[in-house]
Amino acid sequence: MKADVVIIGSGISGLTAAAILAAKGRKVVIIEKQPRIGGALKRFRRGNIPFDVGFHYTGCLGQGDILHLLWHYCSVLHRLEVLPFPAEGHDRLYINGYPPPVRAYFSYTRFTDELKQHFPAEQGAIDQYFQKIEHICRSIPFYNTKLPLTDFLQGYKPKGHPLSEFLEKITDNRFLQAALANPAILYGVPTDQVSIDVHAMVAHSYYTGAYGIAGGGQAIVDAFQARLQEADTEFLTDRAVASILVDDHGVTGIRTDREETIESDYVIHTGHPSALIDMVPDGCFRPAFRNRLIDLKNSISMFALFGTVSATPGTKAFLDWTNHISIPEGPNSFPPSLKTRSTQRSLMLTCTERTANNTLQPQIKSVILLQPAFWEEVAHFHHCRKGNRPPAYSRLKHTITEQMLQTAEKKWGDYLGPIRPLAMGTPLTFRDELSAPEGCAYGAMHCLNQYNPRPRTRVPGLLLSGQSTLMTGIVGASISGMVSAGEILGLESLWQEIRRWS
Amino acid sequence: MMSEEELRQKVVEVLAEEFELDPDIMTPDATLYDDLGLDSLDAVDMVVVLEKTFKMKLTDETALRSIRTMEDLFQFLLKLQPRA
Repeated sequence: MKADVVIIGSGISGLTAAAILAAKGRKVVIIEKQPRIGGALKRFRRGNIPFDVGFHYTGCLGQGDILHLLWHYCSVLHRLEVLPFPAEGHDRLYINGYPPPVRAYFSYTRFTDELKQHFPAEQGAIDQYFQKIEHICRSIPFYNTKLPLTDFLQGYKPKGHPLSEFLEKITDNRFLQAALANPAILYGVPTDQVSIDVHAMVAHSYYTGAYGIAGGGQAIVDAFQARLQEADTEFLTDRAVASILVDDHGVTGIRTDREETIESDYVIHTGHPSALIDMVPDGCFRPAFRNRLIDLKNSISMFALFGTVSATPGTKAFLDWTNHISIPEGPNSFPPSLKTRSTQRSLMLTCTERTANNTLQPQIKSVILLQPAFWEEVAHFHHCRKGNRPPAYSRLKHTITEQMLQTAEKKWGDYLGPIRPLAMGTPLTFRDELSAPEGCAYGAMHCLNQYNPRPRTRVPGLLLSGQSTLMTGIVGASISGMVSAGEILGLESLWQEIRRWS
Repeated sequence: MMSEEELRQKVVEVLAEEFELDPDIMTPDATLYDDLGLDSLDAVDMVVVLEKTFKMKLTDETALRSIRTMEDLFQFLLKLQPRA
């Protein structure tokens, strides 16, 4: 089989790269290890109730925003129903020791006003924080699409100061510090290890708007799949890439674990960069780069509890356009330490379907609870694969389920009623379902003492993409897909075409 | 605390190993790009290797960008060494 480009992995970065390349007439083959495409965006069902693993809401879907531009360019936007959060929508922050909930609106102005009402003595600090975030994002082309892309992406970048240091400098109010640090849960790096710049990139997208998608992450996967099928993109699922074939001039193709060979001058690897090492011939990378990939530190993992509550008007009003997040106070509120008990850790309550009723079981509503987790908590089960987990692992899952339910019901039970648990994911689940080493939720960590690999590698034609490269989340992964496609098509000219619509 | 000679030796040793270079050509006047064949893709790898080896942060971007030869690199690292 022959292709212009082989893409390894069918998450949003791979789908985005594929759709861009297909639009330019390139023949693309996508290889996916799992039986279904979509990576963290795909849904799973329990008792006919759909649950989203990785997609709950996103920023950057307003007119002219980066995801809006990309999805338009990829011909998927018209296939999707984007559901903007209404002005009243927000992340409701429950900060330990500070009883009134703080409403983190998806708007600079409204969130600023809310914080100033809660912390009137801290007006200067609040202004300083938001000005800093806006200032940083003005020089980022994804947010200021008038800027060229190449300069931003190229070369060595010095790292700034830790977020926690910045927060401590502007205020000593520990509740305000926690409220400002909160987006850390959306990129999975401890606040004392993340630069204010990385924090700004993620936080900004939520301070400018939040959006759901009718049908959740699966609708996004389906839209890309429909578009790519029109373009004759081939999906080979349920097989892994055993080796990437390389000669003196660069990439020549791939071989799958089913002994299939696909000839191709380009390969985009969207998985965790460390997985690349076993796929390429020895000596392909210099030891410096190889060791850099092996030593990559990973972002935090999650315990994810999927359940249902009664779909009363009350629960719907409580859940549809509000995410509920319980966080500890202080600038280092994220993450907890390994020793922090489940009841003391951050806990996020969100939902899968916003506004829409579950047509099969309209009397219930699905909910998702997310809590930061460490690989060490399940590491002793590392040898067990899906289908042969021992009873001790089930007991651990049961204990964590009980603890998370207890915390959630204590905090939100008055509004939600009892939560009926249906499934629980741990770092082990994420490792096996998403090929994420240590179950990391956001790939290799974008932290101060680490240089994440860039899209281009030393091997001509071999490119990296995905959350570990440029930025996390659906926005970051989509942008990384665009950049890897741009490395093949011409980055700056592609960028000009994409932003033309804004 | 490392002597200047030890530092020079260490730099040559780790770069030779990590970038598969011949130590004999890594003379002070050798240019990183033309003589040693390193390029912009290697720049970050080099920073990572040196930070790990010497257990310090290389944050002066302007100084880093101005490094052309092995001697430039030695001088850059020597300036960062704590004084005895």
